[in-house]
Amino acid sequence: MKYDVVIVGSGPAGSVTARFAAEGGAKVLVIERRAEVGVPILCGEGVSRKIDEWKIIEGKRWIAGRMDGARIYSPDKTCVTLGAEQAGNETGYVVYRDIFDQELAHSAIKAGATFMMNTQAIGLIKKGDKIKGVCAKRFDEELKIEADIIVGADGVESKIGQWAGINTRLDPKDLETCAQYTLTNIDVKDAYCDFYLGKEIAPGGYIWVFPKSKNVANVGIGILASLSEAGRAKKLLDEFIAKDPRMKNSSPMRFLAGAVPVANPVETVRDNLILIGDAARHVDPITGGGLTHCLEGGKIAGEVIAKAVKEKNFSQGFLSEYETRWKEAFGQKIKRNYLVKELMLDMDDKTFNKLANELKDVKFEEISTRGLVKEVAKHLPISTKINALIKYRKEIKEIKKK
Amino acid sequence: MGKPKANIDKKKCLACCGCISVCPQDAISWIGNKAEVNPEKCISCAICIRTCPVGAISEEVY
Repeated sequence: MKYDVVIVGSGPAGSVTARFAAEGGAKVLVIERRAEVGVPILCGEGVSRKIDEWKIIEGKRWIAGRMDGARIYSPDKTCVTLGAEQAGNETGYVVYRDIFDQELAHSAIKAGATFMMNTQAIGLIKKGDKIKGVCAKRFDEELKIEADIIVGADGVESKIGQWAGINTRLDPKDLETCAQYTLTNIDVKDAYCDFYLGKEIAPGGYIWVFPKSKNVANVGIGILASLSEAGRAKKLLDEFIAKDPRMKNSSPMRFLAGAVPVANPVETVRDNLILIGDAARHVDPITGGGLTHCLEGGKIAGEVIAKAVKEKNFSQGFLSEYETRWKEAFGQKIKRNYLVKELMLDMDDKTFNKLANELKDVKFEEISTRGLVKEVAKHLPISTKINALIKYRKEIKEIKKK
Repeated sequence: MGKPKANIDKKKCLACCGCISVCPQDAISWIGNKAEVNPEKCISCAICIRTCPVGAISEEVY
């Protein structure tokens, strides 16, 4: 079996890369270890409206609900609202991730990519140091798939990266361990995504309530793995649900667990190799969101791959155009927000309450994490600011330089 | 008797792969739709046990 490109993983990063590579004329194969694209869902299913800007996903079937805004609750339940009133429009969507992923896969297949399900990558084919393809297993059958470019879109636990010699292991302080119920018969009052912060509520993370309809919502938790104990995420989530009056008569229809990298990105390009999506740590370290990066990064990766195939140049130097472009698009944001994440970990509940109290009446100019971070920076207590400046001076300097 | 090693209860595991990504020894793999520990590689650091959101990993003496 010989392809120009083999992409490992059929999530949004893999499918979007596949589509743009195929549209550019490359012969593309996507392999997926699971039996169905997008299933099981491993996601809170919230996405910013920014997703419309790229016009990459078609149709409307993937939209469960349009959101009017977000509310962030501090530990003492002071509420900061980022609303549509300020934005002048809806701020985001809650999606059906299975349909979402399948739409993206459809676009890739329409462009000419081939998908192979139930096929797990088990190693790289190498000739000396040179990567020549992927060894895979489909049930009991071993496949040798030769390709000029291998794309690791294989998620948070990326093996492709590891096999290529990139250290993709995550420090527990850079991983959110998550659990989520889809609750039905819950009393959803309005189209707002709610976030709950606090060291007792969700250490190093948050609890979310994302409405999918009038009486269905995703209620989930992410806590930092370094602050976790066995089963703690589920336990804290169960406690939250038991106390919330909206959820008194609710019952779960789905329970899932997930792991989200909240780290600095890894190197994403080697000779004949590209990493993308969660495998590349393309996740906003504050929100844990990564879908928009998958679309933006996938388009860049696909375009660069198509160019490489045309010019028959698969070297790290040639493929590094991908890394340069994603760094321009969202790399700086991830770096900056990683720093903000570290800073937030140093803040106690009292500081969060104080901040929320100052921000509760603020009209946000920009409904995004950037808009929020900007306002937070303005209102941080001076002692916190000074401590942060001292502790992170090297990192801040580096970001400012760029 | 050997050192206790991490052991994943396959009935409880939801295959979120968090343990795979934090294991410093690359001792956990995705086998048959679940995570599985290779006791030969496990160094009993317990990072995976603490990471598991549903408490599916415990120590077991092999």
